[in-house]
Amino acid sequence: MTTPDRHPVPTSAGAADCAAVVLRLFEYVDNEAGPEDRELIEAHLDQCGSCLREYERDMLLKSLVRRACHKEQAPSALRMQVVSRITSITVTRDSDS
Amino acid sequence: MLATADVVASRQSRDPAQGVGLEPMTELPEPDAATQAEQDASVDVKEETEAERAARFEREAMPLLDQMYSAALRTARNPTDAEDLVQETYAKAFAAFHQYRPGTNLKAWMYRILTNTYINTYRKKQRQPKESDSSDVEDYQLARAEQHTSKGLRSAEVEALDHLPDSDVTRALASIGEDFRMAVYLADVEGFAYKEIAEIMDTPIGTVMSRLHRGRRQLRDLLTDYAVDRGFVSDEAVRS
Repeated sequence: MTTPDRHPVPTSAGAADCAAVVLRLFEYVDNEAGPEDRELIEAHLDQCGSCLREYERDMLLKSLVRRACHKEQAPSALRMQVVSRITSITVTRDSDS
Repeated sequence: MLATADVVASRQSRDPAQGVGLEPMTELPEPDAATQAEQDASVDVKEETEAERAARFEREAMPLLDQMYSAALRTARNPTDAEDLVQETYAKAFAAFHQYRPGTNLKAWMYRILTNTYINTYRKKQRQPKESDSSDVEDYQLARAEQHTSKGLRSAEVEALDHLPDSDVTRALASIGEDFRMAVYLADVEGFAYKEIAEIMDTPIGTVMSRLHRGRRQLRDLLTDYAVDRGFVSDEAVRS
């Protein structure tokens, strides 16, 4: 998918430079990088320690957020209210028609 | 706790697929529930009665209640407003359910209503100054490039962040701008694709990327501060 916001990772002599990779890292972490970008980024991460650490931090942050926002159970009173509202709306409408 | 550290530590596990929150099918529905779901996905909306539609809404939308409530908690940031927000979201969704195209992504559709409802009702109520939200790509590209040349956190600090309690993470989430917070939540907790987030937030994909980028940047800074406050990491180690 190509949108104006998504330019390919700039390269010099076929290798991606750090600034370009760091810029694209969050797309990579979100699994949104295109196949070509992905290859470039992976090749770069294999040989660049500082970008690899940047990648690790991005991954960590993502997993921290996911871990902290675990699914909470909706209060049962809320569940009942939601259902009863639907039911009452339906009953009213049906009796109108 | 260790699960997160593992992801970070293991270079081999660098599989972007595990970064997205695609939900595994944990429980398979009963056979007749599956048949029912199939029928629900291909129902002719014009042909069904009010009662049938209400029953279909209940079958399809009610299982999302916990998820919607959890999202509302993070969005509205307190249980009372979260409950109101969920109530209103469901009422609106039910009233508009004839517009929902069966078989498409109901969760994204519900999220869109929740987001809209929150923005229209609560943002007005809270009268928060709206954060500047330029979808200006250069803006964050610059920040990102600079950040790379400055000294960031080191592995020990990554370790420290990983040991922060969940309450610190939710506190940090609650303190960043709501557009940033929602984008991060939708991407990291719900695992929506950028394109879906753009539809839910009714904004161009470039803006979604900008919000994600800036939101995460702010989160990271806040969490680093918390780690310093807790003595998990020394201030000098971060700033030097």
